Amino acid sequence: MKLQTIYKGMALMALSLAFVSCMDGEWDTPDVTKPAYGNNSIEEVEAKQVTIGQLKNTYGSVINASGFQRITDDLQLKCTVIGNDIGGNIYKQICVQDATGAMIVGINGTGLFPFLSVGQQILINLQDLCIGGYGKQTQLGDEYNGSIGRMSTSKWENHVRVLPSHDMSQIDTLDFYNVAKSDMTRYCGHLVCLKDVQIGDADGTTTIAPEYTSGTTLTYNGSTNGYVHHTLNGESMSTLLLRTSTYADFAALVIPQQPVTLYGIATRYNNTWQILIRAEEDIKIDK
Amino acid sequence: MTIATLAFALHGWAQKPATGDTTKTESDDDAVFVFDESELDLNDESDVSQDVIQISSSSNMYTSNISYTFSPMWFKFRALDQRYNDTYMNGVLVNSAESGSFGFSQSLGGLNDAYNRSGDYSSPFETNTYGLAAFGGSNNYNFRASNYAAGHKITLSGTNRNYRARAIYSFGTGVSQKGWAFFGTVGYRWANEGFAKGTFYNSLSYFLALQKIVNDRHSISLSTWGTPTERGQQGISTDEAYWLANDYHYNPYWGYQDGKKRNSRVVNTFEPSALLTWDFKINDRLKLVTSLYGKYGQDSRSRLQYNNSLNPKPDYWKAFPSYNYDVWGLTDGANNDLAAWQDSYDFWRAAEDNRQIQWDKLYYANQQMNAVGGDAAYYMLKRHNDNFAIHLGSTLNWDIDRASKLQVGVQLASNTGMHYQTISDMMGADNLHNVNNYAIGTYAGADPRVQYDLNNPGGNLGKGDRFGYDYNIVVQKATAWAQFTKDQGISHSFISAQIGGTQMWRDGKMRNGLFADNSYGKSGTARFLDGGFKMGTNLNFGKGHVLGFGVSYMTNAPYASGWGTGAFQAPEMNNNFIDGLKVEHMAAAELGYALTLSWMRANLTAYYMHGTRLNEWQNYFYDDVNSFTYVSMTGAEKDYYGVELGIKFKISSPFSIDVLGSIGDAKYTKNTDVSYLLSTQGTVTKDLLYNKGMREAATPLTVASVALNYNIRGWWFTLKGNYYDRIYLSYAPSLRYQSTLIRMGAVDNDGSLIVPEQAKGHGGFMLDGSIGHQFRIAGNPLSVNLMLTNILNNRKFVNRGWEQSRSSYTTDQTTGEKSTIRTYNFQKNPMKSYLQGFNFMLNLNYRF
Repeated sequence: MKLQTIYKGMALMALSLAFVSCMDGEWDTPDVTKPAYGNNSIEEVEAKQVTIGQLKNTYGSVINASGFQRITDDLQLKCTVIGNDIGGNIYKQICVQDATGAMIVGINGTGLFPFLSVGQQILINLQDLCIGGYGKQTQLGDEYNGSIGRMSTSKWENHVRVLPSHDMSQIDTLDFYNVAKSDMTRYCGHLVCLKDVQIGDADGTTTIAPEYTSGTTLTYNGSTNGYVHHTLNGESMSTLLLRTSTYADFAALVIPQQPVTLYGIATRYNNTWQILIRAEEDIKIDK
Repeated sequence: MTIATLAFALHGWAQKPATGDTTKTESDDDAVFVFDESELDLNDESDVSQDVIQISSSSNMYTSNISYTFSPMWFKFRALDQRYNDTYMNGVLVNSAESGSFGFSQSLGGLNDAYNRSGDYSSPFETNTYGLAAFGGSNNYNFRASNYAAGHKITLSGTNRNYRARAIYSFGTGVSQKGWAFFGTVGYRWANEGFAKGTFYNSLSYFLALQKIVNDRHSISLSTWGTPTERGQQGISTDEAYWLANDYHYNPYWGYQDGKKRNSRVVNTFEPSALLTWDFKINDRLKLVTSLYGKYGQDSRSRLQYNNSLNPKPDYWKAFPSYNYDVWGLTDGANNDLAAWQDSYDFWRAAEDNRQIQWDKLYYANQQMNAVGGDAAYYMLKRHNDNFAIHLGSTLNWDIDRASKLQVGVQLASNTGMHYQTISDMMGADNLHNVNNYAIGTYAGADPRVQYDLNNPGGNLGKGDRFGYDYNIVVQKATAWAQFTKDQGISHSFISAQIGGTQMWRDGKMRNGLFADNSYGKSGTARFLDGGFKMGTNLNFGKGHVLGFGVSYMTNAPYASGWGTGAFQAPEMNNNFIDGLKVEHMAAAELGYALTLSWMRANLTAYYMHGTRLNEWQNYFYDDVNSFTYVSMTGAEKDYYGVELGIKFKISSPFSIDVLGSIGDAKYTKNTDVSYLLSTQGTVTKDLLYNKGMREAATPLTVASVALNYNIRGWWFTLKGNYYDRIYLSYAPSLRYQSTLIRMGAVDNDGSLIVPEQAKGHGGFMLDGSIGHQFRIAGNPLSVNLMLTNILNNRKFVNRGWEQSRSSYTTDQTTGEKSTIRTYNFQKNPMKSYLQGFNFMLNLNYRF
């Protein structure tokens, strides 16, 4: 075979190599200034808007009876996310508040926190959702076996619009002992701060939500596999407690022996205040 | 001319089958027209683990046809994994010392002109000149440049499979008067989108071989090749997803980003390899072949990862309508929510975008996390399995006399496997920390045990950074073997034996918080001695009747790492070897009958194999302990047995009929010890796995085929009916732990545990056909072949899949008791892969 033929053959091979390039390549960050979550077609109409306070008033009897009612009117609620499932303590819920009050929204989904971060303002189309009470705690959701339950994620995404505003500094954190504690109806569900508080069971080794063990002196709720309750400042658990899931990311945190400042959601179960902290950062050791 | 003759003679004696079988095969008869496995790119969609065995021993009607005939259903020869098949190149064994397998598609995919017809295949009890044939057969590729014909060849292919187009150019010089020979081939396979949506294919392949025949005693060959490949994968899902998407090939791996389809599972492989061979003819009866093989393999596989957030898989179980409503009627229905079922159904059906990855949403989530200073909720990672391997093989062939031959050889191999994970795309997130989020909860966030690398605690990660795990596995093997063959009277007999040693260790590059003293740096070294023997006889009774039988007993060192196997307890976390790790044993026997008449050629073979002390390894999320687990199974025992039949009827000169069939079984014969390590705590639990009776998956255990071949006036037609049955899906071990069965209450009235039946795939009848013709253009041959597969468009074939390992109930983590029944039933929703319906491949092949 002639050298020229060989060279031609090699040149053809080299040429074919030159045509190949990467197909997947680099992907630019897409423009997500328009929220890629929820229903952006919900138009904000001031005339349709109600406040949480108004909802609590309107449906107060249903809430207090731990019943539920479907909202048939074309109403909207503009509120700010104050709590989500980032720490695994709040489960399939978010907590929202406005200037008039706060409540819980039940959504049958996990991993909500990246889409509904604390400080995010949202607009909820209330029509066809249910409002009710669970242990008198106001909750928005859907019917579940004759009482208020969670709505499906697809329904939720149809009913929520994420607004441009995201500002944590605008969240009104109430002083629990000086403000919130006095009015359970109005302030349940609110983000609160408990200053200079001693968490019970702090012996230097007990963690905040250990799994149940036989013979434990800790107080568990519901089943052996769920929530652990601790006193706060030694107050009776029938009026106030700290409630933490054994599945919380901070469940293994050793309870500080010194007083702390707690941030959390002040929920109610009938006439008991139940403080839900959202993440480990909500426990700040006082200096 | 003399030199050329010498050159071919030289490779000829290196490759001549010791059986002396010179029977012209069917593929030789129809060399121009017949499609064989080289035309198919059998493994173009597979992962390393799923490469099927390449076997095509020409001396057996059955083995010479199965690779091609049954390849659409990924038929495994004798239901054996690929590690039971040995691949040699110019006499050096190139199976990975770490995994035991040879990744055909990663190494040779697209190099059809390089490997086509250069293989020297051996069935398990056939002798050859390069080593003991493996239980799944062996093959030795001849990659010497003198092996290839002189001239140019261009191949153009169009298909509607994983890739759309293929072009191959090959060029060989033959052997020059000065003793030089060169062969090269380059190919390219491409698909902007394969038959499954969201997939793509981008694969280059090259092969260059140079040989210098120094004199009539020495020849030096050098070959180098590689197939840099980038492809977007197709995922498989459940029947519910296929129903909702109205598509048997629904692919959950992709979604739209900025209006373009983005696949989350992109595989990049490149294994630049080189092979140096010295052929030394010591004298007329004594020949030495020595080859040195090296490669640097790069394999990365991307995936979308979520960080403490919602699983973004569009077919995540919580995204299905049946998550909300018990459609199987297996619960009391108390949790049924029909409205939610309808909501979910409507969402799936409303738009294609809804049932794919919502990339924009995930970027948005990260943007939100940036606003609160949090870690990325979603990011893309790459799992890397790179390796650097050096293999040396040397074989001395001694023709003692006309009837006796002796071969002795050594095979040495060293493999450094580099296993690590990198961030490939932060997806707009500012922060991500190298922390074991699965352990948080068991341990507080500030606990050092949650750190993936205590040598760099709290490190904030960025694109390209290694995280999670980073370790090397080093394996070194040495094997010596010998084989003696003797022809005496009507018998052709052989006896062969081998002995070898293997040592392996792990070298951790991160100090895992859960194993602070046992994860960084080198582990101990495990050493294993293995070997065995093989012997057999063929008795030629004349008039075309040959009876053959063989027996074998081999032991094999455990494989350090690979699909379904491993020697380390949790290599991503620590340096520990598996407790009770032992050398595997396999005994085999085979009885065969061959009949050759003027109008018929038939082979009937019965085989039996029994494996003991087998080691298996997997990792998966185990619901009942609420943790990802690394699972070691030791002391497994398996039976493989069956009957194989291959017949060729020559009805007339142009018309022939091929009949193939196999019915066999491959199953565990006893329950297996299992232990699993929890990634959340680092603790190990021992249990008993009730896997007795579970069968090898992802292959039909019953196959049959009838092919009608008609050849007239240069036209060649084939119509082939194939039948597949008894296809099993991979069983989920966690559903069959003793503790799981007790927890489930799977106990009969006698107190015996009730083990769930293994999920099955779906076989059936498939009709294939092909047509070929050779034209002449400018005096040169142009072959045109059209291959049609699954002509009847049977969409119900399920060739692989797996049971979901998750539990259909929740477990009380304190008591270990079953807590509540889930509405969604995982066991009713196995993952299934449906075969493509009608598909074709058109090949144009021009030589000049």
